[in-house]
Amino acid sequence: MKSGRTLRLAWVALMWLALAAAPFWMPFVGGYTALGTRVLVLGLAAMSVNFLLGFTGVLSFGHAAWFGLGAYGCGLLLKFGPPSTPLGLIAGTLLGGIAGGLLGALMVRRRGVYFAMVTIAFGQVFYYIAFQWSDLTGGDDGLRGFSRQPLQLGSLTIDILSNSNYFYYFVLVCFAIAAAIMGFILRSPFGRTLIAIRENERRARFLGIPIERHIWIAFTLSCFFMAFAGGLYALVNNFADPRGLHYSQSGDFVIMAVMGGMRTFWGPLLGAAVFVVLQDYISSVTVNWMSFIGLLVVLIVLFFPRGLLGLVNRRSVA
Amino acid sequence: MSLLAIDDLTKRFGSLVAVHDVSLAVEPGELRAIIGPNGAGKTTFFNLISGFFAPTTGTIAFDGRDIGGLSAHARVALGMARTFQVTEIFPELTVFENVRVASEVAAGYRLRLWPSAHESAEIRRSVEGTLELAGLADKATRLVGELAHGDQRAAEIAMALALRPRLLMLDEPTAGMGDQETYEITQLIRRLHKDHNLTILLIEHDMRVVFHLADRITVLDQGQLLAEGTSAEIAANEAVQTAYLGKVA
Amino acid sequence: MSPEIVIFNVTNGLIVGAFYVLMALGLSLILNLSNVINFAHGGFLALGGYIGWMLTPYVGFWGALALAPLATAVFGFVIERLLIRRLYGRDPLYSLLLTFGLAFILEDGSRSIWGAQGLPVSVPDILNQPLSDQFFFITGYRVFMVVVVVVVVAILFILLRYTRVGIRIRAGTLDLETVAALGVNVRALRSLNFAVGIFLAGLSGVLASGQLGLEPTMGTGLLMPSFIAIIVGGVGSLTGTLLGGLLIGVASGITTVFLPQASEAIIYVIMALVLLIRPRGLFGEEGMMT
Repeated sequence: MKSGRTLRLAWVALMWLALAAAPFWMPFVGGYTALGTRVLVLGLAAMSVNFLLGFTGVLSFGHAAWFGLGAYGCGLLLKFGPPSTPLGLIAGTLLGGIAGGLLGALMVRRRGVYFAMVTIAFGQVFYYIAFQWSDLTGGDDGLRGFSRQPLQLGSLTIDILSNSNYFYYFVLVCFAIAAAIMGFILRSPFGRTLIAIRENERRARFLGIPIERHIWIAFTLSCFFMAFAGGLYALVNNFADPRGLHYSQSGDFVIMAVMGGMRTFWGPLLGAAVFVVLQDYISSVTVNWMSFIGLLVVLIVLFFPRGLLGLVNRRSVA
Repeated sequence: MSLLAIDDLTKRFGSLVAVHDVSLAVEPGELRAIIGPNGAGKTTFFNLISGFFAPTTGTIAFDGRDIGGLSAHARVALGMARTFQVTEIFPELTVFENVRVASEVAAGYRLRLWPSAHESAEIRRSVEGTLELAGLADKATRLVGELAHGDQRAAEIAMALALRPRLLMLDEPTAGMGDQETYEITQLIRRLHKDHNLTILLIEHDMRVVFHLADRITVLDQGQLLAEGTSAEIAANEAVQTAYLGKVA
Repeated sequence: MSPEIVIFNVTNGLIVGAFYVLMALGLSLILNLSNVINFAHGGFLALGGYIGWMLTPYVGFWGALALAPLATAVFGFVIERLLIRRLYGRDPLYSLLLTFGLAFILEDGSRSIWGAQGLPVSVPDILNQPLSDQFFFITGYRVFMVVVVVVVVAILFILLRYTRVGIRIRAGTLDLETVAALGVNVRALRSLNFAVGIFLAGLSGVLASGQLGLEPTMGTGLLMPSFIAIIVGGVGSLTGTLLGGLLIGVASGITTVFLPQASEAIIYVIMALVLLIRPRGLFGEEGMMT
């Protein structure tokens, strides 16, 4: 399907163009750069969940835990350690990724609905810890007292703290790197085993794929991506929120992925964009944002399970 | 030495005994058919051999090695491939992609992130060869979920072949097929057996297929071994006739 | 650390545990038969409490106690017929998301109708008295709650054991295909089962409102312990859920004696231990729900 592929490449190129030029065209449609930054970060989080959900077929409903851990890890390093943004991101990514990998070994012993329950319950452990360990984490108020630090590249200083455009491009670069790695993994032989597991776990097992091990690897990888997104999010607000660890946040990420299109790579980014824009708009006209999103979810699940990109796209991975 | 040696294999589900003290030996290069009335325990038997679940008692030896404690995927790595009664394929992937997964796992690439150009080309050649063998070369880019029933079966067999197995286990490959499709699958299995010297274990209900293909036949009835022998011996065996051939053909 | 304090906390733990049990059993029923994690369970709990509050001026406390769970169950039945039923054949993700969305709607809806502040709930005086001077901490209401839970759970288990419907539900949990093949109307069975689960949630809500007051998020705090009760007790086993709920309640109570800050954390620790040592749960069956 050469023409199909070319068309898809064209769309992706267009997308990158739009993302690269966002600070310039967003004000014209009533947006602002920080909104774009949020979309990128949450989009990355949604894509990380989708790595498990859409591509491996694994139901993780507690993934916000790693997002939150990434945020707190980054914030804590910036608050108590050297004032280095990259180090903060690395700290957050490692914290969430390693925690996810360790706990994942416990969790992948079960699958399906039971696994979902376990991921939710474990996710809540971290939510609870963030609340209780208030000396360290700031408890209910969240972690404050840190901020993203200007980047030092040799003699050049890029002020991502006060210049929102510079920060946007920093996040865009981070997003691009993460997305590239994710895409690379999914297109590799290993990535294909994950898709096989999603398509038919029994068949995959009887082709010689050790299912539990591969799912654990996929789980751990997605936790690293998730934690990276969380670290970025802490930088967006200069703040880490315990509510970012709650299972309802996990649910939001899943909704973004499903809304945009679970079986596609970029769907979750689109879903995140729609979600963020809707949230911004709806919250400004009514206090019943919850009802709205609840209703939207019900409608999507009943009538548009393939999501936005699923409507246009018949096949995903080439 | 037998490729597959099974001794007093028993599987109990609570108080239900699905397989009872069955023993069997399959020689390399042999095509053994397993027949028996519905509920005889044939698929359960396959499930025990392929590692779907563990036996209650008894031993299973593959190439002289006791595999009773091995997981399903480990047994595949040793050289056992199977198909299922209800075709198990990857519906939203193309035929090519389906077989490619099998080839990549067989080549040891399942954890690979970056195969070299040479390795990728080899996989491609291997997949194309397998598709050619299974008669699916012209359907390589079709989604397996959209294929006709017979072609889906062939695709499943192609996947099993791509694993380069030493023992191929086929569970009712011609079930639900018309005469033409049955003929084609039978010819495929014959080719695999004769031209490629594959050892094949075959569960079948269609007796024409069984008598056409089998070197030896094992008859199960109500979980137990009823008879074993060549086609001629089984066809003449009265007990088998009453238990099985006398019933629905 | 006097024995009185230990007894106090263990008894407290049992009372709390009994409450977890009521919630968790409803969740478990729905999970076992329909493979659906009902995220909206907490929302139904709150709904039960609010309906009870609305009915009390007309039928009194006792009337509300009997009728509110029924009303909630009817509402749950309707939701199941209209929405959840459509998703049974599909990937479990969708029913999960559906109940997730429902939970949002229920919570926000409750907030819109009845306000975000807590509503006062009045309880008959006879229940409010403490049992005796020595056991002053065990108020009549708390004993009453436990009694209601015990009675309801007993009735539930008897129904499941000895009535035709109950047997079908239990059989359906093990092998729905065979049950359907035997001619049972599986769809109706699932709807009924769901309604029973919601009845339990509604009842929990009415009971809880007498103790904790009424506010829109009252159910969500109980959802997690219910999950954990099911995980610890073993998916697929109602007895397991029962014992799991009591176990975590008591564990929480005992921990309060020695290390109050850890009393909530202990249930997660227990869950982690169970997953590590016996992933199928204390009474779960191998292969359930995978």
